[in-house]
Amino acid sequence: MGNPFVLAAGEVGGDFFKERSSGTLPCQANESHLFCVDWAKENIDRYGTPAQQHLEIVLLSVLIGFVVAFALALLAHRTRWLQPPLLAATGVLYTIPSIAFFFLLLPLTGFGRDTAVIVLSAYTLQIIYRNTMLGLDNVPDSVKDAARGMGLTNRQILWKVELPLATPEIIAGLRVATASTIAITTLVVLISAGGLGTEMYGSNFNFPTAILIAVAIIALMVLAFDLLLLTAQRLLTPWRKARPR
Amino acid sequence: MSEQAASSVRYEEATKRYPGAPSPAVDGLTLEVPAGEICVLVGPSGCGKTTAMRMVNRTVEISEGDVLVGEDSVRDREPAQLRREIGYVIQQIGLFPHRTISENIGAVPQLLGWKKERIRERSAELLELIGLDPELGDRYPAQLSGGQQQRVGVARALAADPLVMLMDEPFGAIDPINRERLQNEFLRLQAEIRKTVLFVTHDIDEAIKMGDRIAVMREGGRVEQYATPAELLMAPANEFVEDFVGADRALKRLALMRVRDIHLWEAPLAHVGQATAEVRAKLERPDVEVPFPLLVDGERRPLGWLSERDLAAGVVPGRPDSPLGPVLELDDVMRDALADLLQHETQYAPVIDHAGRIAGVLSVEIISEFLGSPEAKSDEHPAVERPHG
Repeated sequence: MGNPFVLAAGEVGGDFFKERSSGTLPCQANESHLFCVDWAKENIDRYGTPAQQHLEIVLLSVLIGFVVAFALALLAHRTRWLQPPLLAATGVLYTIPSIAFFFLLLPLTGFGRDTAVIVLSAYTLQIIYRNTMLGLDNVPDSVKDAARGMGLTNRQILWKVELPLATPEIIAGLRVATASTIAITTLVVLISAGGLGTEMYGSNFNFPTAILIAVAIIALMVLAFDLLLLTAQRLLTPWRKARPR
Repeated sequence: MSEQAASSVRYEEATKRYPGAPSPAVDGLTLEVPAGEICVLVGPSGCGKTTAMRMVNRTVEISEGDVLVGEDSVRDREPAQLRREIGYVIQQIGLFPHRTISENIGAVPQLLGWKKERIRERSAELLELIGLDPELGDRYPAQLSGGQQQRVGVARALAADPLVMLMDEPFGAIDPINRERLQNEFLRLQAEIRKTVLFVTHDIDEAIKMGDRIAVMREGGRVEQYATPAELLMAPANEFVEDFVGADRALKRLALMRVRDIHLWEAPLAHVGQATAEVRAKLERPDVEVPFPLLVDGERRPLGWLSERDLAAGVVPGRPDSPLGPVLELDDVMRDALADLLQHETQYAPVIDHAGRIAGVLSVEIISEFLGSPEAKSDEHPAVERPHG
């Protein structure tokens, strides 16, 4: 014990820690053993609930972050002078160290998932907002000029021309935001919000097997989301793979 | 084709002021473009020609004055609605990269709420009209060449049968060979569809080629001369126009003339088997213009030039010593005819009519005399038709 993280985790730590330290498997006693397969087999089911919590927090945070950032981007796209202050504001949020951010919010929103989701969505804002703006800015002027000259209204230009063409950048932003959120969510154990962090910080640091399994699940999650979003992008932007013949 | 609709365009003291600019971009422009004609706005960059063009579909808002399409002021129209009735082609083309070619062409009909089936038919019809393989309809713009893309740009502008077409340097970004081809194609198309076209360019040669009328503009959208291409070349209104048209304006007039428009020389003709003495006699007449006899067949179709050696024999031989060289047609554009002569390094070429019979001889001398004559610069020369295609 004596680990500040585990102390901060409050009630989450206790049970796990005891259970884990009283190892009964041969490889668990051997501290030089990097990965204890027997232990993994026996304990894999304990990762179910934390993984689910992790997933929920990530999905909720990215979804809220996307909705807010997207709305801000549309607002800034229409109201040009809002762009610098919005970029600065989302940028400032991004620079606050995550641990500090969690603890700063504790007096306001308390321990648990709400605080976690607020902080994590705030982190996604900058990436999603900036990428959406980038995508909208990358739409060629000639295309917008032609669209306007053909009689598309501003709303039609936005939804039928600009946003479809900005899709690759928007999805690129979502990919980065999702991957980083999956990683940072391991810290929400510190404010008792669960997730796979519980299996890392709550474990015996001399026993890497438990941590490695959590890391592997996180890596799989990142890969799965990336693949999902990449596939979505392919399906949404069929013109991009159509190259000159 | 269903293309019939075309409206006149009338500028009435139309002015555009940009906030902060010391003088108006377009200052009290008054100009009338008759329905069904191509009016080219030409002038140096910054003269306000694009601004003037854009007033018609209100992509530039008019500060003072008015623009009428047909009898209606564009200021009374809702901009998006107005624009759907006006074709719009720009230099950078601006096809929607995320839409297929057919969808691009069908964009305005879709805005107008046409039924899917009708849009599909219209897209196919236009692809054919611009000479693109219907299979290209399912491709994306990035898969087409620049020339093909610009053709699609024109088709897209024509899709909803607009009253007026605005074309802003439409062929400016195309390489010279394809530009020429696209210009010709568009003229051919225009002969069929007879739209009112406002065509902006800074290239006087393009203006002369494309325009039924040309408005030469200078800063502030001031029209220095508004005339047919021939008038512009024959009688520039002032020094600005003269400078803009260029010192080679007489040469440029050749692009507006056909071989039939000029007085050709008469060649001494010879037939196979004719006594050479008879042919020699023709050559010795004082008014002879061509010093070599031209061998023709029974239908008066040219076969070749006879040389001194050919004439040394008693009768005209069946195979002349000198090859025929280039053969021109009465309908050839003069500039091309001259290019032909120069390219073959020859002084003369026989000119034939549509049946292939000899109609006369064109020489470099005739052309240079024409260029040097007051006729080339005066109003007296009979008006010439603009060559289409």
